[in-house]
Amino acid sequence: MEPAASPALSVRELRKAFTREQPVLQGVDIDVFPGELVAVLGANGSGKSTLLRCAIRLIEPDSGRITLAGRDIASASGSDLRELRRQAAMVFQQIHLVQRRTALENVAYGALGRIGGWRSLSYRAFPPDVIETAWRSLERVGLAHKAWQRADTLSGGQAQRVAVARALCQQAQVILADEPVSSLDPRAAEDVLSLLADIARSDGLAVACVLHQPDLARRYADRIIGIAAGEVVFERTPATIQDSEVAHLYLGELDG
Amino acid sequence: MASSPAAVGRPARSKPGIVRKLIWLAIAGGAAAIYWHAWNDIGGSITDLFSSIGNLWDLIRRSTPPNTAIFHESVNASITTLDTALIGTTIGLVLSLLITPFAARNLSPHRLVYEAARVVIAFTRTIPSFIFALYMVVVVGLGPYPVALALAIHSVGTLGKLFAETIEDMDMGPVNALRAAGASRMQVFLHAVLPGVAPSFVSLSLYRFDVNVRDSLAAGFVGGAGIGFLLFNSIQLFQYKDAAMELTVMLVLLLAVERISTLLRARIV
Repeated sequence: MEPAASPALSVRELRKAFTREQPVLQGVDIDVFPGELVAVLGANGSGKSTLLRCAIRLIEPDSGRITLAGRDIASASGSDLRELRRQAAMVFQQIHLVQRRTALENVAYGALGRIGGWRSLSYRAFPPDVIETAWRSLERVGLAHKAWQRADTLSGGQAQRVAVARALCQQAQVILADEPVSSLDPRAAEDVLSLLADIARSDGLAVACVLHQPDLARRYADRIIGIAAGEVVFERTPATIQDSEVAHLYLGELDG
Repeated sequence: MASSPAAVGRPARSKPGIVRKLIWLAIAGGAAAIYWHAWNDIGGSITDLFSSIGNLWDLIRRSTPPNTAIFHESVNASITTLDTALIGTTIGLVLSLLITPFAARNLSPHRLVYEAARVVIAFTRTIPSFIFALYMVVVVGLGPYPVALALAIHSVGTLGKLFAETIEDMDMGPVNALRAAGASRMQVFLHAVLPGVAPSFVSLSLYRFDVNVRDSLAAGFVGGAGIGFLLFNSIQLFQYKDAAMELTVMLVLLLAVERISTLLRARIV
């Protein structure tokens, strides 16, 4: 799928400081279009994860404009904000499945935001269309045969694919993945990243993915954004990126 | 030279030895004074204990053999005691589940709500259940019912505190994941918090039931219910053979409940 004309997620001049001396984000601009996977590279503490969390205001940014699914999220509040947040699904490094529940239940939890009232109180009462979406999401990540297995019995790679299925079940337009493969072995990391890339290209979702592995970013991303000290320092396609640029990103860490 | 080069930079203790000895002496003296006061306050006397050993022997003689004629009555009363603890624990469990989300620092919607929930828990936990039983007798009359209500109130505090602490120690990852997916507070509690803490909650509730069976005996004295009340009456009326039977049944009951509760809890966690 060719990238569409308007971005699913657009961030302009995003600023955030936890302490006065050391701002984490100093005016970041990024766009993520439907149908593409954007990799965000950067050293520890460069502001990558804060960027993702600020984008859906899990952390409140100090200033900046954020458009999600064509709507302004920066000024939304209350139920509007919750409604808008549902347009972006998060995938975490530590996976965060509910351990004592089955894979299928965990996937269905992604839809909680759109199930109202008493039907959301128990999995057994979830509407049939939500269960159907959960099954299809689990099939999409190739784990339908693990549906009734408890989350704590899955391998790390399987658990992260279930978490991706949970994000799919949320039916968001954007997936924000925060180091989704950092706790996985290389083989499982490949599986999860190729899955995310395929979801972007085949299903037309906009995927932003914070990574620590430049080689994976080169192979799976459509665009690579480098962040250092809270600023975008480069934005390249995998074909045009230079080794020196990537190496430079991590140099700051040496004296930090 | 006596001191090695490394010892040069070693600082002396801030207080000299004699001062530290005096402090310890003062602490020991203070403790001794408190114990002396306490022993006198309770009228403690070692000679009394030895001179009244005959009374103890007489008590044992008058208690044997236990009166088997009241065996059935004792068993029935024991079942009432168990029922009281069961209903009391269950009501307490439901109420404490309602208050727990507000009493856990990491889930409570506001600090004032948290403090208010903590006050309720502290109040119900600090006052012993037999005191609540005294008041409940005034409200609903004598019998097992006021005792069950008293146990329920006290359990709100004890279970609520332990539940809240369990939640404060839990992994917040799934909670944050569901919040990010747009789930409401209620949904997060039901689907992310409860599954994580359920085994601990079941274990704590079983333990509370175990404790409540014993509390139900003591509260039975004042509430007029169960095996505790029978025992209390028998002793008051000098029916020591009856009391011995009741005590035996009670002991078997308590040991059985404790054993079963321990076995169940070992299987859960």
